[in-house]
Amino acid sequence: MSAAENKRAVVVGIFVFLALVILVVGVFVLGGQQKRFTKTIQITAVFDDVTGLKTGNQVLFSGVRVGVVKGITFEGPSQVAVAMDITEESQKYIRKDAKARIGSESFIGNKAIVLYGGSPQLPVVQAGDRLGTEAQLSTEEMMATFQENNKNLVAITTDFKKLSSGLARGEGLAGALLTDDQLAQNFQAILANLQKTSATSMRVSQALAQFSNKLNTQGGLADDLLTDTVTFNKLQATMTQLEQVMATTSEMTSKLNNTTDKLNRNDNALGVLLNDPEFALDLQLTMQNLEAGTDKLDANMESLQHSILLNGFFRRKAKREAKQKEREQQKQERLRKLEEKQNQKNAPATKATTPKTPADTANSAE
Amino acid sequence: MKFHNGDEPPVRRPRAQVISKRFDRIFMELANIASFVGRFFREVFLPPYEFKEIIRQCFEIGVKSLPLISLTGFIIGIVFMNQSRPSLAEFGATSWLPSLVSIAIVRALAPLVTALIGAGRIGSMIGAELGSMKVTEQIEAMEVSATNPFKFLVVSRILATTFMIPALMMYTSLLALLGAFLNVNANEGTSFTTYFTQVFDAITFLDIFSSVTKSALFGFTIGVVGCYKGYHSSKGTEGVGKAANSSVVTAMFLVFIEELLSLQVITALRAL
Repeated sequence: MSAAENKRAVVVGIFVFLALVILVVGVFVLGGQQKRFTKTIQITAVFDDVTGLKTGNQVLFSGVRVGVVKGITFEGPSQVAVAMDITEESQKYIRKDAKARIGSESFIGNKAIVLYGGSPQLPVVQAGDRLGTEAQLSTEEMMATFQENNKNLVAITTDFKKLSSGLARGEGLAGALLTDDQLAQNFQAILANLQKTSATSMRVSQALAQFSNKLNTQGGLADDLLTDTVTFNKLQATMTQLEQVMATTSEMTSKLNNTTDKLNRNDNALGVLLNDPEFALDLQLTMQNLEAGTDKLDANMESLQHSILLNGFFRRKAKREAKQKEREQQKQERLRKLEEKQNQKNAPATKATTPKTPADTANSAE
Repeated sequence: MKFHNGDEPPVRRPRAQVISKRFDRIFMELANIASFVGRFFREVFLPPYEFKEIIRQCFEIGVKSLPLISLTGFIIGIVFMNQSRPSLAEFGATSWLPSLVSIAIVRALAPLVTALIGAGRIGSMIGAELGSMKVTEQIEAMEVSATNPFKFLVVSRILATTFMIPALMMYTSLLALLGAFLNVNANEGTSFTTYFTQVFDAITFLDIFSSVTKSALFGFTIGVVGCYKGYHSSKGTEGVGKAANSSVVTAMFLVFIEELLSLQVITALRAL
């Protein structure tokens, strides 16, 4: 073989080798990514409906790919058994009571089996185990719900249309509020009043709060009333005495009532005095006669004073009274002078005591 | 008339018309092709084996086609990614571009483009080469010199195309995916790891297996057509041109037919 042929053979070998490397690397990357070359266990789950699910779809647990769908076969009258290959390394995370449902890889992506749940205290899933399933809403069921929602929405919008047209026409209280200016002003005034009332209420509540604070102040009457047992006992005693006083008062009132009743009757002296008009008239006449008699007696006494028999007696009496009066005046004069002297003594004494120490003052007081 | 090694004359001329002149010629052509392919399978397992010639043909067909195929694959990756973007962007699904491109390239574009470029370059080369050998009576000369021209010229070329087209397809796939990555990285900022994760997430073993198988089939077809057209070219320089031209056209046409048929088979396999 010539050198050129040799070179050509080597180049071809490299060319083929590199192509095979690309193929092998591709196969291994693909296998590794799809976990084809890892050890797996097979478990199953039975669904009522597996619409869109295909062999080779992913099996996800907590969003992580843990296997692939290996087979889809009918079971029973209408159910479908889905066989899944789960990698052994993820087996330890899936418990026997884990459930399976049909989800999707993304919003518009392929369908996938989603494993979820599982109690940590239960053993891990084993080959051949059958997981429980949860029925998912199919697209048709979702569309039916949407349709129902649409109907409800139409009904709501129809009602709202009526309501809004009524409001626009000013029907009802709400409509009148929206359209009647006077009502709106009244409502505004009510709101303003309410605002004032709420402000007042706030002030009242603040005052009440202050008052209650004061009531709770230690040493106050209310606090003592509520907390001090001595004060409470005194108060109780006072109340008892008050009760007794009230009883006495009641008795006295009762007796006063009796007295008043008697006074209102004419069968006793005071009753007659108070109630009998004839007796009052007689009494008035008697008083007039007495007044007339007194005047006459004054006149008699005046005339008696000027009589010879009693003239000396009245003059001596007048002298005694004049002397008595003069002595009174002299006594008053002496007292006044004494007071003046006392005042004159006190004035310098006050000036002299100012620079003195308190000790001196105390001594002088002694 | 028979040659000493048992070769039949290239074209059997009908002595009497069976259906019509045109239909008779078509069916005659089909019979000759079937005979040609049958002879290939007979010769390929019988010694002596022309390894040197096979290696030489692999070099000519595979290695020398690599620059053209690589550049084409790289450009196709960029162009396909760029053209697919607006459609997916309408749905806000540009993150699906790697998956879309990987499926398109691995399943269809890489085998088909490699086969078409191979048909253009290799088919015409084989057709012209064998045609000129036929015209210059080199093939007859080989027969005279006790060399089996079919084994030396045809079997080596068909084997070379059958092996080299899948190899070229692998290069095309890789470079197209790299071209697409450069585009998606420049526009969406997708990282290399994310891109190739999504690429391999979208394809399956069946995709790779079917692509390799398809490419081998395309390579075999290109080789058979090129060799048949060249081996059976008519005399004269015009026959060389016709052989080269018809080998390209026929090979491309057959590649598309095979693509369609293989698609049906793979879809059936995927459903299993």
